[in-house]
Amino acid sequence: MGKRYDVAIIGTGPAGVSAAITATVRNKSVLLLGSASVSDKVSKAHMIQNYPGLPDIPGQELAQHFLDHLKKMEIPITDRKVTMIYAMGDYFSLQIDQEFVEASAVILAIGVSFGKPFPGEDENLGRGVSYCATCDAALYRGKEAVVVGYAPKEEADVRFLAEMAQKVTYIPVYKKEDAAAMAPELFPDRPNVEVKQVKPLGIEKRDGRMVLATDGGEISADGIFLLRESVSPGKLVPGLELDGNHVKVDRKMATNLPGLFAAGDITGTPYQYVKSAGEGNVAALSAVSWIDSLKK
Amino acid sequence: MSVKKIDSPEFQDAIKSGVSVVDFNATWCGPCKMLAPVLESLSEEMAGKAAFYAMDVDDNPDIAQQFGIASIPYVAVFKDGQKVDEQVGFVPQPQLKAFVERNL
Repeated sequence: MGKRYDVAIIGTGPAGVSAAITATVRNKSVLLLGSASVSDKVSKAHMIQNYPGLPDIPGQELAQHFLDHLKKMEIPITDRKVTMIYAMGDYFSLQIDQEFVEASAVILAIGVSFGKPFPGEDENLGRGVSYCATCDAALYRGKEAVVVGYAPKEEADVRFLAEMAQKVTYIPVYKKEDAAAMAPELFPDRPNVEVKQVKPLGIEKRDGRMVLATDGGEISADGIFLLRESVSPGKLVPGLELDGNHVKVDRKMATNLPGLFAAGDITGTPYQYVKSAGEGNVAALSAVSWIDSLKK
Repeated sequence: MSVKKIDSPEFQDAIKSGVSVVDFNATWCGPCKMLAPVLESLSEEMAGKAAFYAMDVDDNPDIAQQFGIASIPYVAVFKDGQKVDEQVGFVPQPQLKAFVERNL
């Protein structure tokens, strides 16, 4: 992935799919990132009654139409997770796992599935709270860390962190089984990992230590790692201006960062498929204008 | 002007007078790699107003410890030897410029 794409589109709901189609029609190179089976929120809809031309269509069928349309236009979906988007000035750098990909413009169409932050989370971000174990692990050499993982793939990060940290307490929020019994099985070569099945409630800094309040009592450590499936847009794109829980955009779907556009539920209500598709179209056309202005 | 790489023996001397911006980073840190060219460009833009330095936290754990750095990139502004502000994580150039300027 050494080349620089014209536009990277993040999200495969109606906004992302629509943006990818329009950008491709306008002859731009597109990197479409998201779920290969398009957004769950489309396929799980029972019935959509107001999508023009497709009366009373079940979500699953609409999702199939989206996939067919992308296939017909030869737009592949890259099913990988973007962890960070950096505004570098006249281009963007997207961190995908440990790899960096460049794009001249970015369209953010990630929906609104992210949860609320824990009390105390935002205030302590970067001051004891981290979202990236592989990024900050080396700062925890000989120290204690708590990791809250939202998917089994985070177990690899726990193993990595446990190589450096003196002690790691792992809270897998996705597991239902008895967690205490899981540690030897999950981390056979990491005796310094303790697994706890508790529900995190809030974060506090006390006497220079980070304290995680849970329904099973407090856990204190030097740092707390929160490894979520999706992060809020402000954390995904440092410097992005928000309007409450949504990304602030103008009528051209432009954000405060030149070259970065947003479309769909992420820009605010109404949460409607057809509104998202329309915004995806506007965002793509705005991105095309931006890309053309760069080439002048 | 550009960003000058320093180590702990030079640290006190580097920040002792005027406004200094120190970028604490590490070779394995992705966001640090992204921030480096932004700082380089800002150091040119703000030449004469602030001095820019970069410090590797792995090579200088004493300084990292001194400022309680728990996450990098960590950019601190010093005024005549005193830390006056800090910024954690990547920020685009206009925002980083505003951060340094409000501490001039």
